[in-house]
Amino acid sequence: MSDEIKKLNENDASSEAEKKPEGEVLGGKDEIAATAKRQTVKKVLVQIGLYTFLTVMAVVVLFPFYWMLISSVKTQAEYNAYNPSLWPRQFIWQNYKGLFVDVHENGIVIEGVADQLNLGTLFLNTVLVGVVSTILSLIVTVLSAYAFARLEFKGKNVLFALMLATMMIPGELFTITNYVTVGSSGLGWVSHSAAEQVTTGESFRAFLALVVPFLVSVFYIYLLRQNFMQIPNELYLAAKVDGTSDLKYLWKVMIPLSAPTLISITILKMMGAWNSYVWPNLVAGEAFKLVTVGLRGAAFKTNELINYPLQMAAVVLVTLPLLIVFIFFRKYIMRGVSRSGIKG
Amino acid sequence: MKKKIGAVLLAGALTCTVGFSLAGCGGEVQQEFEMPDSGFDVTQPVEITFYHTMGAKLKGILDKMIPEFNKLYPNITVTNRSPGGWDEIKTQIVTELGDNSNPDVAYCYPDHVAEYIQWQAAQTLDDFLPGGRYENYTVKQVKLDEKGNQVKDGDNYVYEEVPLGLTQEQKDSFIDAFYNEGNKFEDGSKTYTLPWSKSTEVIFYNADFLEQHSLEVPETWDELEDFCEAVKKINDSLIPFTYDSEANWFITMCEQYGSGYTSSTGEKFLFDNETNRAFVQRFAEWRQKGYFTTQILNSNAYTSELFTSEKSIMCIGSTGGTGYQMDTSGETAPFKVGIAPIPQLKPYSSDHEGYDENYHAKVISQGPSVCIFRNNDPQKVLASWLFVKYFTTNVEFQARFSAESGYMPVLKPEVMRTNAIYDEFLNDTEASSALKALAVDVGMQHSTDYFVSPAFFGSSTAREQVGQLMAAVFERPDTLDAEFRKAMEKCEYYS
Amino acid sequence: MNKKKNQWKAWLYLLPALVVLGVFTVWPIINTLRMGFLEGYNSAGERLGQPFSFGFANFTSVIGYSEFTTCLGNTLLLTVVTVPISTMLALLIAVALNSIKPLKKFFQTIFFLPYVTNSIAIGMVFMAMFSMIGVMPGREPMSIGIINTIIEAFGGTRIDWVNQTSGWGANFFVLVVFIVWNALPFKILVLLGGLQNVDKQYYDAAKVDGASRWRIFWRVTVPLLSPMIAYVVITGFIGGFKEYNSIIGIFGDTMGPNTQQGKWNTMVGYIIQNVSGFQGRASAAAIILFAIIFAVTLINLYVSKKKVHY
Repeated sequence: MSDEIKKLNENDASSEAEKKPEGEVLGGKDEIAATAKRQTVKKVLVQIGLYTFLTVMAVVVLFPFYWMLISSVKTQAEYNAYNPSLWPRQFIWQNYKGLFVDVHENGIVIEGVADQLNLGTLFLNTVLVGVVSTILSLIVTVLSAYAFARLEFKGKNVLFALMLATMMIPGELFTITNYVTVGSSGLGWVSHSAAEQVTTGESFRAFLALVVPFLVSVFYIYLLRQNFMQIPNELYLAAKVDGTSDLKYLWKVMIPLSAPTLISITILKMMGAWNSYVWPNLVAGEAFKLVTVGLRGAAFKTNELINYPLQMAAVVLVTLPLLIVFIFFRKYIMRGVSRSGIKG
Repeated sequence: MKKKIGAVLLAGALTCTVGFSLAGCGGEVQQEFEMPDSGFDVTQPVEITFYHTMGAKLKGILDKMIPEFNKLYPNITVTNRSPGGWDEIKTQIVTELGDNSNPDVAYCYPDHVAEYIQWQAAQTLDDFLPGGRYENYTVKQVKLDEKGNQVKDGDNYVYEEVPLGLTQEQKDSFIDAFYNEGNKFEDGSKTYTLPWSKSTEVIFYNADFLEQHSLEVPETWDELEDFCEAVKKINDSLIPFTYDSEANWFITMCEQYGSGYTSSTGEKFLFDNETNRAFVQRFAEWRQKGYFTTQILNSNAYTSELFTSEKSIMCIGSTGGTGYQMDTSGETAPFKVGIAPIPQLKPYSSDHEGYDENYHAKVISQGPSVCIFRNNDPQKVLASWLFVKYFTTNVEFQARFSAESGYMPVLKPEVMRTNAIYDEFLNDTEASSALKALAVDVGMQHSTDYFVSPAFFGSSTAREQVGQLMAAVFERPDTLDAEFRKAMEKCEYYS
Repeated sequence: MNKKKNQWKAWLYLLPALVVLGVFTVWPIINTLRMGFLEGYNSAGERLGQPFSFGFANFTSVIGYSEFTTCLGNTLLLTVVTVPISTMLALLIAVALNSIKPLKKFFQTIFFLPYVTNSIAIGMVFMAMFSMIGVMPGREPMSIGIINTIIEAFGGTRIDWVNQTSGWGANFFVLVVFIVWNALPFKILVLLGGLQNVDKQYYDAAKVDGASRWRIFWRVTVPLLSPMIAYVVITGFIGGFKEYNSIIGIFGDTMGPNTQQGKWNTMVGYIIQNVSGFQGRASAAAIILFAIIFAVTLINLYVSKKKVHY
């Protein structure tokens, strides 16, 4: 690196040298002040440039959020205008209501998607999958990370290396076999039944199919193991001398000390449940519908047209929980994310 | 080091065994039915399950009729439920075949049955039909008095022996075209289904508009083109007609031209030919002139709404959806709805230009049939058969079902006319019933013109592909060649 | 003594993880290979005792199918175009963020927002923005959508971006915009993190020498950040080859405009399409996908070994 810098300095030095004669001719005290002034002006200009650039980019990044929010409070007629307006002429909350209560006329739904969307159930299902899979996953992860970080056993390093190696493989490769495994010729968890009459058994089996295959994340084990390893061994030995059991030590010392990592894992796992689409869409269908699947699958239509304001209201409700979580756990999310490189 | 690897392998092997044993417990394949020596045992309770796609109202009619069936066979318990729409019912059953939790009887479309046959799960019905192995077998059925009450001797039922299979008379009461759909499978030598209720496509038209502008209902595609031109001249913003199902349109055209769509024997996919390309191109030109829209082009929404809101003048759709073709929200319907048979290559009426008495009209036959699943327990198969026979040949049930839905009964008009409920339905003057009756009536007039396309593994892909193809070319006529090629390739690939 | 006790204890701790990994990770690896090389394999057929012979038929059937080639092409093209754009843009934004003081946190939070959204939900918003409503030949559309409105306000002509008559280029543009939008936050986060760890003395040295900002950017910042850049490029490529959700978000499961089904299908889309009835082909495609990702990662690592300064 330092070589590079040196080279750079040499280059710059030579270019400066070429310019020098000019400077000498114009030399003088005034000139120095002028240069300083020029530099300040330049600095300000650069700063203005930076802020302009960032503002433009921020507007681009924020615009979809803005469009989603204002569309959700427009009437369908206003939204469908030849040139849609950037600011609603009339604010209405009906779209949000339409997500939960259908307006019927002669047995035909004329507004709303409540019946087919079932947003409440979708939220509940998703939270349920998120919470249960997070808790189970944390237990499994903590136990494994502990074994890899603190316990000595034959084949530890090989096993750990092998586990890490599986991270190379794209998840889609597992999907095919797992689809067969949870299916009727395997564990029998998959059921493709449609909404009208899903039995509790079907729902529960579908729930298993959503939770169990993703209980273990090698990456989280790795993260936590690294964290556990940083905890000085002396603490462990001292605890041993005191006669503390392994589990107690794990619970009382190691877990509190790695709380930030555990929180990151929790949040990423919950976000994962909220955003997951491919697998739930493939295996759970109507039996245990998650929020993203339900959102994408619902036909937001009034008359023969897509009712965008209604759709945007649903999108707002699906987006909001994540944004709220983000506001409260910004630090943990950003930390976990920068290390994982995986979305969700 | 060696030991370490050993441990890892052991762990791997252990977990793999778990995996294998978990993944290895599939359902077994059920045996073909064989008549037990004692025949159907009326003393043993037997439960059967029936899957269908009925909504609440139609299910209500079924639920009302099941006790009638139970009067004859008190030992059979029938559970019925709807796992969803047409796609769900098939996927659900295929899933359940895996652990033998499948139903005993199910609503089916020909391509579903083709798949059940692949799974060796569908039960052939030939032995129960006239000329079949069990032609002369009988079954004990509770005797009913004139009022329809069970005859009892003390606490015991009085039984009478009736034919087990379908009698020749019962067979003849079916509309032939519908009955014959049951043997269109694979090599055409076996029967797997009986018809339950049927629908066809018709034109629903705005009779007031046509009268006001002295337009006639088109009988041929050429007349339809003139009709569209006329409507566009009257008001350019109107859509002259809508066609709900692109796939039906394509298949019907193939059938009318005799140009080839699919075949269950030899080469399976025949739809890529000059005639078919020509009609697709022709309709694409119509589309570019704004003559029509279809379901896919209408953002995947049924087009009946365009019709009821008077944005379009005609809607070609299923008689099963007749209820949606009339705006029933107001006190009186905003306009009078007329129903006519779909356009053909040559007119129906002799006073129209190009009439040819040798021309055979072709209209599509749709709607559910029922099939029975194999079961190692012969009692279940027999109970299922008795259930299917009862409901498909029961005039009262067929009448009630038809009156509720606008679907056509599967029995011949002269048989149906003997039923008071049906007669009343056909003569009902209340607007929405009258429309359903009219739909049934128009549909029944063409009972000799029905066709079904062959069913085989891959036929549902073909249906989907030709529908997609039509929609794609309608919007971008220059893609005609590419779309045909793509559709063919996809069909070959997924069969 | 203690050691021996630890042996079984360790395995006990690992048991839950190993069982789940065994069934849902190890077995799939073995089984996918098996299914991929059994010609015409499908699990339904296996249940019925249908024999399958060993061979490469699945691979030839996958590669010889023009829709798969489309999927492969779409995937490669989207990745090759979006990864450099999003990396470059993220780098510029990160450097800009690193050079300001007031409002830095504020901007940082804004740029991270796309990350904490459901990409399918936001895809639907992009669809809404680009979509026209009520398209029918011979008639003006009912609504031309907000993006077209903005374009017309600046004197451009409206384009059918995502609807029935939309062309390849228009669709591609929308997808690239959406994918880049989606990919920015992670890259900005990582690169900014890298920048903040860069020793100030390098800059000071360069500044003392009077090097221009542009020069500093190329000759100091980029080389110093090269490990981070390599990291986001590699993860970007891996994510890109698995592209599926963005297409679902924009187009839904038609994977293309309403009347052009499958036009933007991807490798993962192809696998999912075949997963329920044609597991042999799906497995072959998954193996191909793995091979591509593996190869590209190796190339990336090789290139970064030559170029990256640690």
